[in-house]
Amino acid sequence: MIRVVTLDEFEPRQLENFTKALYQAFGVGSEHTATLPAPAGLNEPYDAVKLIEAMPRVPAYEDDKVLFLTSKKLADRDLPTGKAPTSGFALQGRDKAVVSLFPKKNLEEGFKFAARHALHQVGHLWDLHHCLDPRCAMYPPWTPSFPNGEPIFCAFCREKSEQKIRMTKS
Amino acid sequence: MELAAGDRVVYPNQGVCRVTTIDEKEVAGQKLVFVSMQREEDGARVMVPKQKLESIGVRKISSPEEVQKIFAFLRADTEKADLDWKVRARTNLDRMTGGGLQGLAEVVKGLQVLSELRALPTKERELYDNARHLLVAEISAALDIPECNAEDAIDIALFPPGKERPKRTPQEFARGGAEDEDIDLGDDVLGLEGADLGLPEEAEAPEEEEAGAEAEGEEAAPAKKSTRAVLSDDEETVAAGAPLPEEAAPVKRKRGRAPKPKPAEGAEPAPPKKRGRPPKPKPPVDPNAPPPKKRGRPPKSAAAKAETKSDTKKKKK
Repeated sequence: MIRVVTLDEFEPRQLENFTKALYQAFGVGSEHTATLPAPAGLNEPYDAVKLIEAMPRVPAYEDDKVLFLTSKKLADRDLPTGKAPTSGFALQGRDKAVVSLFPKKNLEEGFKFAARHALHQVGHLWDLHHCLDPRCAMYPPWTPSFPNGEPIFCAFCREKSEQKIRMTKS
Repeated sequence: MELAAGDRVVYPNQGVCRVTTIDEKEVAGQKLVFVSMQREEDGARVMVPKQKLESIGVRKISSPEEVQKIFAFLRADTEKADLDWKVRARTNLDRMTGGGLQGLAEVVKGLQVLSELRALPTKERELYDNARHLLVAEISAALDIPECNAEDAIDIALFPPGKERPKRTPQEFARGGAEDEDIDLGDDVLGLEGADLGLPEEAEAPEEEEAGAEAEGEEAAPAKKSTRAVLSDDEETVAAGAPLPEEAAPVKRKRGRAPKPKPAEGAEPAPPKKRGRPPKPKPPVDPNAPPPKKRGRPPKSAAAKAETKSDTKKKKK
């Protein structure tokens, strides 16, 4: 189950479409679980790693994945090879990820953008790596073509995610 | 190599492991020192005799300086992948079993460059994913950063932000020197210059498809149908640099017979065609020819008729 936790208010219908896109991509249940305030002491732009660590525990089963959705900006990460533009972050192979809607204002305007980034980050939670196919949601997210794509996986990533989900269930 | 419990090591093709115990055990009357390791990723355990560690390729995790060299290698745009799939497969297998960080980086870089020419076949796509997984795990362990950051660091070197990946051409991969496969068998050598081979248009494959054909049957891995939102099975994965379908959709060739040309205005419409098989032409009639023979048994004569009547009467009596 993918549990979407929002840090801001969103239109319920748009949230429903958002969770539906996640369900269609992974084939597992997806629902909006709660709306929680951002942790105190964090200023915009949020540090994605700190935000995930500081968020309160969300009631979920062991195999559930929790996706935090915010409309606020996430700070670029300093990496050994340079600055990484950050629209989301995930703990690879674990259970928590965060996605930002910035620079889109709401889910209606930035539905594809948010859904594609959400697929990317939740894909990391199921141990998927970056893909070579520009149409796949696991393509590196800072490339210019990424935001224009559809929220879908290539055949390889889809099969790998299916396999991981099957193994988790068993 | 001196190891102690708690050390982190890299086991070729398995990933980062942590040494749990080093103890002596008796096996078949021999006393051997065994190193027990636990894979960090999933907790799988393995016991290796200490004297075999080197031959297997178990080594300590790379230092941050070595990782920086790997980043510089990934950033450089000099690596060209081998177009011969057999040579490439053998080399990549050797690099993977060797277990070195540089070997993993070479596999990732080589296949990534190749993917800029054309989509990778399934086996190589899997190999690319495995190599990337091992590389990410080791860099994450070496620099003590989250795996997601390690992967992004690799990809920032491979795919610099703000740029699309370049589209490669087969000419870029052509090796210099007079090797057998590089001999130019031009049309003039083959005696085909100017000759019309009479091939239909579809049979003349573009250069890229020819290059892609070497992957043989590997590319044709059927994907099962699913209701989930994915690229459809008919669509092949796109090589890097190719525009997204929305940006430049290729012109679809219409299937079936081409439409008939419309008649010119003012011209008389053609008479409607009769359906069915056209009638056979009649042979010319020769007035001197004998009349055609009648088919079947010739009629009986009058005497023969009378005989048969008398026979039937006798039988009745």
